[in-house]
Amino acid sequence: MKFKSLDPLLHSQLRLAIMSILISVKSAEFGYIREKTEASSGNISVQLSKLAEAGYIEIEKSFRDNYPLTTCSITAKGVTAFEDYVNSIQSYLSSGN
Amino acid sequence: MAYSEKIPGNQESMEIISKMIQSARKDIEDNSFYYLLWGWLVLIACVLEYVLLKSGSQFHFIGWVILMPAGAIATSVYGYKQEKRQKVKSFIDDVIKYILIAFLVVLVSVLAFMSKLGLMTYPLILMIYGMWLFTSGGIIQFKPLVIGGIINWVLAVAAAFVSFENQIILLALAVLSGYIAPGYMLKARFRQNAGRIK
Repeated sequence: MKFKSLDPLLHSQLRLAIMSILISVKSAEFGYIREKTEASSGNISVQLSKLAEAGYIEIEKSFRDNYPLTTCSITAKGVTAFEDYVNSIQSYLSSGN
Repeated sequence: MAYSEKIPGNQESMEIISKMIQSARKDIEDNSFYYLLWGWLVLIACVLEYVLLKSGSQFHFIGWVILMPAGAIATSVYGYKQEKRQKVKSFIDDVIKYILIAFLVVLVSVLAFMSKLGLMTYPLILMIYGMWLFTSGGIIQFKPLVIGGIINWVLAVAAAFVSFENQIILLALAVLSGYIAPGYMLKARFRQNAGRIK
């Protein structure tokens, strides 16, 4: 049986956690992602940029009450990549690897 | 657990996905405000109308004229503020928002045609209330609201066959069972969930 290789961009704890949050909601603020993943702001920023560069997520920068606000949402490409990743993992698990 | 750039094992990947999805889904907004606001406003309007009607006042409907637009304004202001402070937006929030807007448009339209609709006004209002309760309760999977919606529909049918004074009593019963009681239950559920997440 031939297995699909796992998307390296999603095969990291933090990026996978971010994508799992974004697939469940319409959009999430930076603070919400930090709260859920318990990762540092700097690390989250780096991972968000990587996901945005790949076209998996969209990042919107705005202001609320004079403070900068970063809001993220998953793109159609991101949804497909996430689904492919889950299918691959499931096939690995069902084969006992 | 703080997540890092570490490569997860296959089992761990599934655990991260499941944990994050469940956690995000638990963060539903406390929407009990809308049910309680409309429940109490309608109940006050009912009691006021009944009392004024019994005392022979010409302006027995005055409570509706004042309280319903006030409710619409309060709903809009609260909705705007709630949207502003939300850290996360779900698709369910969007569906509920559109249903609420549709509910308000239809409700205000029916009230505007009150003089033409005559005795059918309250049965129609109860039908509209039932629709909001049933659909929004179903979406957030909260049975007391769904049951409240069905009670409102039954009372709407009954209201079509009784006098105006008795319609007011049925309307008061409908808001107690469909809005106020489920509204407090929803508030309690939200508090319970919030406590569990912390």
